[in-house]
Amino acid sequence: MGATFVFSERNGVGEVITDDIANVNMGSVDAAELVPASYPITRGDNSFGKYISGKFTGVWTTISNIKFWKSAGALVAGETIKASANAVYAQPSQVDTGDSDIPTTEGTALSLNSAEGAATIEYGVSGVSGYTGNVRLQTQIAVGASAGATNQKTYTLQYDEI
Amino acid sequence: MKDNSISKQIEIKNSIDNLSFLWLACFKNEDLIFQYQDGKENRFQLVKDRFEELKYFILYHKENSLYFLVDLQKGNISFMNYEDKDSEEKKNNIRLIYFRRNRIEISGDKQNHTVTYHLGYQYSDLQGNNRKVILEIYQNGSWIINN
Repeated sequence: MGATFVFSERNGVGEVITDDIANVNMGSVDAAELVPASYPITRGDNSFGKYISGKFTGVWTTISNIKFWKSAGALVAGETIKASANAVYAQPSQVDTGDSDIPTTEGTALSLNSAEGAATIEYGVSGVSGYTGNVRLQTQIAVGASAGATNQKTYTLQYDEI
Repeated sequence: MKDNSISKQIEIKNSIDNLSFLWLACFKNEDLIFQYQDGKENRFQLVKDRFEELKYFILYHKENSLYFLVDLQKGNISFMNYEDKDSEEKKNNIRLIYFRRNRIEISGDKQNHTVTYHLGYQYSDLQGNNRKVILEIYQNGSWIINN
């Protein structure tokens, strides 16, 4: 069976962690699994930043080579997605995160550490939480963007396990 | 006497469905360590701890007869009737390569988790160069070679 993986999200002033989130929907509220139609992003504005990580439970020896990228979903005119790896958590807001454009290939993917900052996640080691570092995401919509829904995105997280 | 046969281990593993292939480590003193043994999962760390003693490392499909075998003494890898062509070359310091590459895609409310198995060995050739032979094996048993 090996390690069991779920995506997690952190929200709020208290860094509340929601494990096993169903989606990575972006919108105008700081919440996990938000409904985009209820919290649309106004043209000329940004989504709330979103802190995503992976969480490992079960049995493994070493998790390594953790990567994250946007693997599908074309951007519409005026839409950009910003991302950074191993971001230190701060309460999400709509202020520009200042991050770079999200990578769209495995070769240029973000490299994630463990939440504790190590290059690998070792099983059963004291102080190892089983979480990866945070990926901070933010969707930015330019003033001139067309109205309406954007395309659905696919995000990929990859890791090697023994 | 405990039944550590592959068929017994496959029977145990049938309830665990996210891995198609399981490993079996065979040591020089005839010890065997199965990934699943006596109803629990063994960590690969048990193999890492005895790398110097490893004789064969086998990856076998839990639902059919497919298997891949790495011979850590000769330095070759075989799959059913296939054996790598470099097996006659003199090889030194032969070491196992094994990991599972997991890829999770999240799109809307859907997630897709795929696993590929990377199996092979590395060695030093007569000139002292490090060489690798690695198979990338898919859940259905198809594979490609990555040297």
